[in-house]
Amino acid sequence: MSKVRLGSAGLAAALLSLGLGAGTGVTHAAECIAPANPGGGWDFTCRSIGKIMYDIGVVEDPIQVTNMAGGGGGLAFTHVVSERADDAELIVAASSATATRLAQNAYGGMTADQVRFVGAIGADPGVIVVADDSPIQTLPELLDAVKADPASVAFAGGSAVGGFDHLKVLMALDRVGFSDITSVKYIGVDGGADAVTQTVGGFTQAMTGDMSEIVGFLKSGDVRAVAVLTEERVPGFDDIPTAKEQGIDVVAVNWRGLYVPKDISDEDYQKWADALQTVADSPEWAEQMEANGLAPFTRVGSDFQNYVDEVVAEINQMSKDIGVIQ
Amino acid sequence: MSDRVLGLVAVFAGLAYAFAATRIPTSFLSDPVGSKTFPMMLGGIAALCGALIALKPDRPGPSWPGFRTWLALGLAVAVLTGYAYSLKPLGFLIPTAVAASILSYQIRPRATHALATGIGLSLGLYAVFRFLLGLSLAAVPKGWIA
Amino acid sequence: METFSLLADGFAVALNPFTLMLAVAGCIIGTMVGALPGLGPSNGVAILIPLAFSFGLDATEALILMTSVYYGAMYGGRISSILLNIPGDEPALMTTLDGYPMAKAGRASDALVLSGVASFVGAFLATIGLMLLAPMLAQVAFLFGPAEYFALYLLAFSTLGGIASNNQRKAALAACIGLAIAMIGLDNSSGMPRLTGGNMHLMDGVDFLVAIVGLFAVSEVFIFIESHGKSSAIGVKIDKITIPVKDIVRTSGTMLRSTVIGFIAGILPGAGASLGSFLAYMAEKSTVRDNSRFGKGDPRGVAAPEAGNNAAAGGALVPMLTLGVPGSGTTAVLLALLMTLNITPGPLLFTERPEVVWGLIAALLIANIVLLILNVPMVRIFVKVLSVPPGVLLPGVTMVSFVGIYSLSGSSFDLLLMIAFGVLGYLLRKLDVPTVPIILGILLGNHMEDSLRRAMVLSGGDWQYLYSSKIAIGLWIAAIVGFIAPLFLKRFITKPSRVEPDEASDG
Repeated sequence: MSKVRLGSAGLAAALLSLGLGAGTGVTHAAECIAPANPGGGWDFTCRSIGKIMYDIGVVEDPIQVTNMAGGGGGLAFTHVVSERADDAELIVAASSATATRLAQNAYGGMTADQVRFVGAIGADPGVIVVADDSPIQTLPELLDAVKADPASVAFAGGSAVGGFDHLKVLMALDRVGFSDITSVKYIGVDGGADAVTQTVGGFTQAMTGDMSEIVGFLKSGDVRAVAVLTEERVPGFDDIPTAKEQGIDVVAVNWRGLYVPKDISDEDYQKWADALQTVADSPEWAEQMEANGLAPFTRVGSDFQNYVDEVVAEINQMSKDIGVIQ
Repeated sequence: MSDRVLGLVAVFAGLAYAFAATRIPTSFLSDPVGSKTFPMMLGGIAALCGALIALKPDRPGPSWPGFRTWLALGLAVAVLTGYAYSLKPLGFLIPTAVAASILSYQIRPRATHALATGIGLSLGLYAVFRFLLGLSLAAVPKGWIA
Repeated sequence: METFSLLADGFAVALNPFTLMLAVAGCIIGTMVGALPGLGPSNGVAILIPLAFSFGLDATEALILMTSVYYGAMYGGRISSILLNIPGDEPALMTTLDGYPMAKAGRASDALVLSGVASFVGAFLATIGLMLLAPMLAQVAFLFGPAEYFALYLLAFSTLGGIASNNQRKAALAACIGLAIAMIGLDNSSGMPRLTGGNMHLMDGVDFLVAIVGLFAVSEVFIFIESHGKSSAIGVKIDKITIPVKDIVRTSGTMLRSTVIGFIAGILPGAGASLGSFLAYMAEKSTVRDNSRFGKGDPRGVAAPEAGNNAAAGGALVPMLTLGVPGSGTTAVLLALLMTLNITPGPLLFTERPEVVWGLIAALLIANIVLLILNVPMVRIFVKVLSVPPGVLLPGVTMVSFVGIYSLSGSSFDLLLMIAFGVLGYLLRKLDVPTVPIILGILLGNHMEDSLRRAMVLSGGDWQYLYSSKIAIGLWIAAIVGFIAPLFLKRFITKPSRVEPDEASDG
């Protein structure tokens, strides 16, 4: 037992400064809240950005990651706004999904201007894929199939009905003049990998998600991407045509970034913006992006804040136009 | 008798649940089953089970405690509730010592023993959580430490 | 054979004094975290991820530490199930049914050793299954669509009737309560809140840990206040600790069957360890010739769920590694760990990063063996818990539960909810309504509803779609048989006496 104690005590000493946090006490290290369970995109953002910040020395202590799942990020958003509004040692992972939910008023009345967006340093290109043995070759073919018989094509995606993955499909259909959105079959499953599984298994005919979620399946040949939803083709995936060049003007990327509480000082805000910029310029981050199928997308500071404001307004308008919200 | 009451409560609660389910807001983008169907079915089945239980109760029924025990149980619930509210403002040590002492006394009514248990548990568990498992628990009220 | 040379490479990376020390430390911490009510395996792994980085561990070392914690927690969950009738984590739920009665009969150490061996068998064989078959087994996940998952959940609930209580009406009511609680929170399909009463804390639903700890641990305190600690396992004189060889031999068949069931449940991303241990227990109970002692301390009832849930934990690694789909909360944490180590699981992991996969498999085997070796001496320590007087033990367990739940969200709301579950648990236990189905309902409710709704989207509202594939039909038949069989069998078997948890104490 004495040996046991020694081992545990050694670990315990190291654990002292790390802890579980979750608002139960004072911690000295900065904290990154991932508003979801481990394993998803937000968790990835916190863990990889946090790790790189520590590795390259922009922060002194390892950044402690807290998972605060709930309400599609709404619980963490509310927590930050109502309880941590002036905590300068707090960053929160965000993505296009955060902006989408804010735009669709899915955070129970919370609005985007109740926090400050620090920056995004990478984007996950949206993709639409089909199983390898599918007869469908191009995006227009897929959309035509929906137009001809909406019941014949089911989509799987990682977000709930009305969420970002669903919107990608609806936007594409909107461009080809199909507006009967209630007839479009879409199932929201638990994440992109699950959506791919359903599509490979033949339960759905197409999958909509992010590039990072399908990289492995693309390489193994289980699925084929019929379109990537970016302005230009994605480096490393040059054989996947953009939706734009197929005549469907849809651009949807899932940026990965951070927000901070509203009431921190401008210096603190700038400190995080600079730290993020340093991470964006680091070779470590370049490596992470390549391994995870992210495309470069660096917008930091007020530039990013303006971008988010625009996106929120745009998605809000679009959601109203296609009828996802009233 | 107890089972009849349980059954009736279940019937009532099941129906109330099913009714609450009918008022779940839905978006018009809904799927064929919708947000309401499954909860409504559950409420219905629960009510059915309740009815069956009320019609055919188990024999013998349970033996309920006397009035004094109910009072003790009420006190225990009150202590735990107070504990839940005081953890954040008062830190871990004091509320834990108080709550553990009272519970210990309720299980085994020996005052000094219970007090020692409360204080011992409070300090011991704090050490385990703080140092062994690394949970960042506040020990005492915020104002007490600089 | 190629597999073995790859495995040998894996061991070459994984076996050195430092990594062995990490494995031992990880196993002990994991066992502790698993045994404490309210702290589950995901907590353990989540606490240790930052630690792995601050120690500067490399990928293999970090993996060994994490998997040791992971398996340690899976082993540890059974300890409080057996000793205190409080499941340490959700897959250990089923172990309370026979483990606690064994402890009350003075056989706590036998139950602990037996369940430790069963855990080892389940986990070890599952790891070997993972090793030999993973790329092939990944295909199984492609066979399960929404309709098949719905039938699988239906199978679980239709066999509930025979559990823990001889009163099917009450078991069904309990399942409904659990399912009804599961409905609270954001609706996965539409993203709209349901039955939350506008409470933000309920948006993400009721955490099953809150329910488990409330229904089992807090209600136990109330029971003790009423009884002052009479007729519990605490204070029961414990036999000398021996290895229950006879029981181990007698239950070897049980362990093997349960391992297969648990492993398959683990492979299906939508099922997981809890369903694995549940199905293993129910299958064992319904297939053995004499099942009258199940629920009263039958060693097979201890071996089955433990082999099942540990095999499921191994099985859950199959979809996690080959598809990137985590089959359980804990594999989700391991997935996060792999991703921070710059390893993205997916169909190519086995060919592109064999050193990671085989290092992980070697780590799993090491963790298992370390746990088995540690277990017998550790049982000596754990059974001492029972000699602690109830006036100290029960308040202690309560405080641990409170802190465990408090550390989840740092809100007092979850604590109040837990107390409410405690009161509910007390009343239901007095009324002989089993609480296990409530937890299963909470655990599986959303999955069950989601698969139904997804199936209906795909079929455009055609209910026949639910039984349109061979797998779905097979599961439906099993579900119907599982539901009807007990009703008919009852007529032929003399009705066993009502299970009164406070009276069962023999053997």
